[in-house]
Amino acid sequence: MIMAKRFLSAFLAASLLFTGSMQAVQAAMIGTEQVAESTISAKGAQDRAKIVDMLSRDEVQSELVKRGIDPVEAKSRVAALTDDEASNMASQLDKAPAGGGIIGAIVLVFFVLLLTDILGFTKIFPFTRSVR
Amino acid sequence: MHLTFIHLTLIKASLRRVSLLAFLCLLNACAATGVREATHNMQLPRHAELTSTPFFPQAQYQCGPAALATALSAANIQVTPDQLTPEVYMPSRQGSLQIEMMAAARRHGAVSVKIPPQLDAVMQEVAAGNVVVVMQNLGFSWVPSWHYAVVVGYDLDKELLWLRSGTYERFEMSLSAFQRTWARSEHWAFVALPPGKLPASVSADEVAKALVAYEKNASVAARKQAYQAAVSEWPDHQVLLMGLGNAAYAANDLPLAAVTFQHMIEVHPASAAAYNNLANVLLAQKHIAQAETVAEKGLTVAGDDENLKSQLAQTLVEIRQSQK
Repeated sequence: MIMAKRFLSAFLAASLLFTGSMQAVQAAMIGTEQVAESTISAKGAQDRAKIVDMLSRDEVQSELVKRGIDPVEAKSRVAALTDDEASNMASQLDKAPAGGGIIGAIVLVFFVLLLTDILGFTKIFPFTRSVR
Repeated sequence: MHLTFIHLTLIKASLRRVSLLAFLCLLNACAATGVREATHNMQLPRHAELTSTPFFPQAQYQCGPAALATALSAANIQVTPDQLTPEVYMPSRQGSLQIEMMAAARRHGAVSVKIPPQLDAVMQEVAAGNVVVVMQNLGFSWVPSWHYAVVVGYDLDKELLWLRSGTYERFEMSLSAFQRTWARSEHWAFVALPPGKLPASVSADEVAKALVAYEKNASVAARKQAYQAAVSEWPDHQVLLMGLGNAAYAANDLPLAAVTFQHMIEVHPASAAAYNNLANVLLAQKHIAQAETVAEKGLTVAGDDENLKSQLAQTLVEIRQSQK
């Protein structure tokens, strides 16, 4: 009986070790997806930082307050953007004319954001666009 | 008396001016945004049409399978709407989901890539020979009538665009009307390409994302071919190089894998993943000493990334085991 138990535990230990090394062999090559996630989503974070940076400018903040938008709330919305949306917005901001126009553009982009946020209510089921 | 008369004419004149201005504003509003950018884009050919694109008239409500079959056949993947219906059509919603459209194209061996939400991107693709699957709302935002169609041609001077749409083989739309119906889907559009062909309007990052999704279902050969085409367009892109190296390794083309990861290390010296995979390739090639050096270097590059560090440590363990 004791022998049998010993044998069983040795067998279990060996099989555990074996499955461990099997997984490790598979993990040896790093997949493309892992690199894609770290490099491309790192860009999303940069884009977000860029937008927050712009929202932090004094003239933009006063413009937001004038339109009844809480600047803190604005920043928290930026944090909620997906990478795609962040890069979309950042590129819109890049295209905006330099100088005075930029404040208007930032505020405008923010209103677009607000709008998509409202639309977000209808996106509780993201794939329900029925198509004729 | 005289004075009031002058006053009145002045008012009339200014009223006329105001109404003229309002009229001009209205006219201006008629041109949907984005159309001018496209018609003034000098890089685009003024006219392009892919006349040999096949046409599958849709059965009731089934524009999704019809549009997808059109795009896939244009990419030389023979498939009929009936074959696609169980894959993309949801009877309960009488429609097809966007992500399923792209996934089904991948399942049939095409690389699906979402293109930028701009009218000139659609035209760029058509000019490059790629038909574009678009989603439109032919109704209003509050009475939606969603529809998939395939853009096959345009004319910038006539401001027209042609689609394989529903039961119409060559549906003509003005650019403005198209732009408005398309805008309601947030300008959703994608191309389905045979592996080895690249979209004309899409950035390297987006192509990389599309290929990462593609490689999950693709054969080893198709996967290698797709990444090879992308790397020859963007030779230094980190994700694309990683993809090519891994695809070559999977296809057992070890020389190509080694060259690719070596190049990746040259252009992205901070990429520990490149070191890890090069070490594995060298190990497979039985260059044990080199593999060990590369893996050790990778471990120093990995810095604080625990995940990468453990992966490299594991690679080192395997290399040292193989020496025994």
